[in-house]
Amino acid sequence: MVDLEQYLPILIFLFVAAALSALFVFLPMGVSRLTGAHKPDAEKLSEYECGFPAFEDPRSQFDVKFYLVAISFLLFDLEASFLFPWAVSLEYTGWTGWSAMVIFLGILAVGLAYEWKMGALDWQ
Amino acid sequence: MIQTLAFYLFAALVIASAVMVIMARNPVHSVLWLILAFFNAAGLMVLVGAEFIAALLLIVYVGAVAVLFLFVVMMLDIDFAELRAGFVKNFPLGIAIALVLAAELIFGIGAYQAGQLELGVASGVAAPALDASNTASIGAVLYRDYVFLFEAAGIILLVAMVGAIVLTHRRTENARGQQDISRQVRRNPDEATVMKQPEVGRGVDL
Repeated sequence: MVDLEQYLPILIFLFVAAALSALFVFLPMGVSRLTGAHKPDAEKLSEYECGFPAFEDPRSQFDVKFYLVAISFLLFDLEASFLFPWAVSLEYTGWTGWSAMVIFLGILAVGLAYEWKMGALDWQ
Repeated sequence: MIQTLAFYLFAALVIASAVMVIMARNPVHSVLWLILAFFNAAGLMVLVGAEFIAALLLIVYVGAVAVLFLFVVMMLDIDFAELRAGFVKNFPLGIAIALVLAAELIFGIGAYQAGQLELGVASGVAAPALDASNTASIGAVLYRDYVFLFEAAGIILLVAMVGAIVLTHRRTENARGQQDISRQVRRNPDEATVMKQPEVGRGVDL
């Protein structure tokens, strides 16, 4: 079992963040309820968004370019997450680990160059 | 004490949100429950001392994979209510697959505890290989003993990158609004403007 006491500051920050965000939401509601007239009707309570219906079927087909961006993000995200253990363990792995990571980054730089050359990074 | 409480909290939430993933009517809600399950699994990983795996769950699974799932769910124009109609019919098959997976897990843990697999300490207690943090231990093993597998992972990522481009990228010719910044910067006034002295009553040849 891991020592959980080191996570106590994070827990405290979480509580502070939750309290603050609840305050930001509920304080204006309470103040406006207490100070203004409160006469809701159907038209006031209906959502309004620039004349469009606010709710529709989310499964509309959209451009496949978004998917390409998301998958590139996923791959480079993985690449970056390989860097964290490498950076903290260099004293154990030495030059072997260093050169391994350079080769790894080189392989992915080839992929980045390919993406760039194919125009997958252009947004038009 | 607090570890036990936290374990039961996280484990119960993982199971509950996993059940909600397959019970939710709206597939987008399913993906959101899946994200909650990932968060709680990360909490479990922190509890066993695998902090890097927990961070990886958040960075990769919540940050990228779940977004990709949302994309797929939103992009495919599938009537999920119709798919769900086979729930009762396919229930025995699903149960059978779940049983096979559970049996594999039990056998794997049994073999591990019998000490047949040399993965570390047979009791399953997370044992750092070095007197260092979990992340540093993973790095020390991954980049020294398993260098070739690591480079193979790099190749696989490259293949995924190329595959995504080959499958989804369509190069559109003469797209509107194509801006060549270097051409704009290279322009100078001498070749961009011409002086004309038109005679009276005659137009200008452009």
